[in-house]
Amino acid sequence: MSKKTKEAQLEEDLDDVMFGKTTRHRPEELKSLEKSTKFTRKEIQLIYRGFKQECPNGVVDEQSFKEIFVQFFPQGDASQYAHYVFKTFKNGTSGTIKFEDFLQSLSQASRGTIQEKLRWIFGLYDLNGDGYISKAEMTSVAMAIFDMLGRHAAPAVDDQTASKHIDQIFHKIDANHDGLITFEELSQWCTREERFVKSLGMLDTVL
Amino acid sequence: MASVAAWLPFARAAAIGWVPIANNPLPPPPIAKERRRPDDEKLIVNVSGRRFETWRNTLEKYPDTLLGSNEREFFYDEETKEYFFDRDPDIFRHILNYYRTGKLHYPKHECLTSYDEELAFFGIVPDVIGDCCYEDYRDRKRENAERIMDDKLSENNEQNSQAAQDMRNTREKMWRAFENPHTSTAALVFYYVTGFFIAVSVMANVVETVPCTLGIAMPLAADGRLLSKNSESIPCGERYKIIFFCLDTACVMIFTAEYLLRLFAAPDRCKFMRSVMSIIDVVAILPYYIGLGISTENDDVSGAFVTLRVFRVFRIFKFSRHSQGLRILGYTLKSCASELGFLVFSLAMAIIIFATVMFYAEKNVDGTNFTSIPAAFWYTIVTMTTLGYGDMVPKTIAGKVVGGVCSLSGVLVIALPVPVIVSNFSRIYHQNQRADKRKAQKKARLARIRLAKATSGAAFLSKKRAVESRLLAQESGLGLDGDNGAGGGDDQHWLREEDIFELQHHHLLRCLEKATDREFIELENPFNGQPQSMQRSAGSRSTSPTLAGQGSLVSPAGNVRNKPQAGGRSSASSPLSPERLTRQQQQQHSAMCPCCLCWTCLPLHQRSSSTSAVASAAPPTVSQVNVVGSSSGAAQLSMDDMPGAPVAMDGPITQSFVPASGGSGSSSSSSSANVTIRRRHNETSSSSSSSPHQGVGQVQMLQQSASGATEGPLEFQISGGGQHQSQPVETRQTILHISAL
Repeated sequence: MSKKTKEAQLEEDLDDVMFGKTTRHRPEELKSLEKSTKFTRKEIQLIYRGFKQECPNGVVDEQSFKEIFVQFFPQGDASQYAHYVFKTFKNGTSGTIKFEDFLQSLSQASRGTIQEKLRWIFGLYDLNGDGYISKAEMTSVAMAIFDMLGRHAAPAVDDQTASKHIDQIFHKIDANHDGLITFEELSQWCTREERFVKSLGMLDTVL
Repeated sequence: MASVAAWLPFARAAAIGWVPIANNPLPPPPIAKERRRPDDEKLIVNVSGRRFETWRNTLEKYPDTLLGSNEREFFYDEETKEYFFDRDPDIFRHILNYYRTGKLHYPKHECLTSYDEELAFFGIVPDVIGDCCYEDYRDRKRENAERIMDDKLSENNEQNSQAAQDMRNTREKMWRAFENPHTSTAALVFYYVTGFFIAVSVMANVVETVPCTLGIAMPLAADGRLLSKNSESIPCGERYKIIFFCLDTACVMIFTAEYLLRLFAAPDRCKFMRSVMSIIDVVAILPYYIGLGISTENDDVSGAFVTLRVFRVFRIFKFSRHSQGLRILGYTLKSCASELGFLVFSLAMAIIIFATVMFYAEKNVDGTNFTSIPAAFWYTIVTMTTLGYGDMVPKTIAGKVVGGVCSLSGVLVIALPVPVIVSNFSRIYHQNQRADKRKAQKKARLARIRLAKATSGAAFLSKKRAVESRLLAQESGLGLDGDNGAGGGDDQHWLREEDIFELQHHHLLRCLEKATDREFIELENPFNGQPQSMQRSAGSRSTSPTLAGQGSLVSPAGNVRNKPQAGGRSSASSPLSPERLTRQQQQQHSAMCPCCLCWTCLPLHQRSSSTSAVASAAPPTVSQVNVVGSSSGAAQLSMDDMPGAPVAMDGPITQSFVPASGGSGSSSSSSSANVTIRRRHNETSSSSSSSPHQGVGQVQMLQQSASGATEGPLEFQISGGGQHQSQPVETRQTILHISAL
């Protein structure tokens, strides 16, 4: 029986490869996008052209997203971080992301207010979406970030680096030491120094 | 990376997730937010008329290519504000798609070489061809490369063989003769003789076993043994023992000689001895020698002797040197070794299985043939190959069923590897045929191409002459007639028609001529049959090159003195260069001199024309002397006696001149340093007019001061005059040509 389903699965996969990707999606009108995000018309045009070039169907699935993302970090393995980022999208769990969601997320992360950015960061770290960041969750995300460095970094990065790093700062972030970080604690932590606030603004891109 | 540049903003935005765990603040961005990039603009790329438009960013994705770098500015057309490329637009489509999508595809209907050229032009490495098309591209490239390699190898072989032909010693010559019978007649003869003897030997082997009817009741051998129990027939071999023995001996002699010769000539003897053909040769002749050593009395050994004779059949393999098809067959079998091995192995498996089953099925039948499993092998083989002799047949039902299955499976098992072998053979055979055809075609094609080139080269020369003659005609026309209008107008009109490129090309060649002080002349045979393809050297201060180079024509009727005489006949420059001669002469010589088709005949013409003006034209005094220079610097003077040129000669004749630069000229009686011009006829001296235009004159050749001197002009004087009236034609015959060294 299982053999049958395996064969059937193979056939399906073959069909998928041959004729798959039939989902087509057209994004909302440019005007409404312009209103809902913080990008100018021209910038949205540019972003969409790049988006459509990579994903002609108008939607991006996790696999393609990972493939694109890892190209920016050639030395390490950015796939895990890409996975977490993918999850922050509105419909990240459904497997595909439309352009509007992509643009929203991008607008929030790069052009949003401090609060919006912090919201985004919180969403990134909160893997199970329960509103709290546990130490394990933070460690996983930290590990993903350190993975992006790869092996060829100095000082050397090994499996324990991430957990050690988180050990050092978790209790600092966790103000009430209940083992969970809430959004307030996180925002408190990130705005404690002017320079960190500034850091949040460093990653906007001129288009 | 460049193709996903559009996603960089998102990657950067996602990086804010690092902030909470960052120990240090992040550095400021490189580009200030206020500074905006200029809006992207579209570029137009015009490829042979087809316009492609694309964003500038698209092209700049790959900055190491032509379109992505500054190199494209070379092709920018200011007037139309586009980039123009005079290339194939169909292939350019794929190249532009590479910029757009990041994947380069290879169109299967395009020629591989043209595609490669386009890629090279636009600076794209073929390695970026996408996976979908890469295999196809590689396969076709390999085919092309193999074909080119084959051609080059064969070309090299031919060139090597031709180039080094004169430098081969006997051994190499012999080896080449053996390998390529078509190179020389002797090799061909040898080839056919050996082939004949192989055939004779094989036929003898075959015929000697045929029974010859015999009248003798009890055939006896020489030593009294009974030859055959059957009184009626014995094999021919026994009857005509002597004849067959002699035949065998002769063949073996030939084969031995051939083998030894090949062994001697082989460049690498060890390798030769290990080669297949040599082993076959040895196996073919060895039985004879072994048989000589063994006597036929001992029965045991005679059995071995008979076995040895079987090996004589291997002589037939010697034919593979004579037949290419056989060689290809052998090569195919070698290359299909794996398929053949599979065939044999699977057959063996099937035979064992079916034989076993048949044996156990049939073993209890009375009087059965299937006495053992190996006995059943024979049945299985015969059945699987669908031969079905019928000497062994199953009798039980089970046996028959198994026999049926056996024959069906035999068909399948044998049919499977056979097409592979067949296709291999076909491919190799056709490749060989194509290689031979290509070689033959190539020769014809090269000949045609050479002809086309030669005609274009001749076109230059004829054009050049036409140009010059026209220029001279104009000049003379201007000078004589003072008619500026017509000449000038014609000239300009004509010039305009001329191709600019051609004009400049010809100008270049003329510059070369002037710079080297030489002139291009055509490869033509003068009417006396001797080719004079030398470029005549212009007069330098050296001696005989001067003279020789000047190609001074001396008419016996004309007094030609080198330096003091004819204007322009100085040693400094060629006396025959057109500008030195008077216009009249040039006009007269506007056509090619028909005798030798070279410029050097110029004085001849003017002499002949002026000769006719003179009443007492001198007869030819000197027979025509042709100097054929060689590149090594030796000047050869040979005199040809022209018919109908009786001459009388008197006066001092110095006959030697020293060739310059130490090169030794040789004539029929020259020493190493002197060149002697022998005179056969006497010339009567006549007027000593110094003008070269005189029909009658003297030609004097003065001896050089020192042999080997390279300086100073060479005076050439041949004295003589003619008693007889000679026609211009005759004088022409006696012109002394000395071409350049």
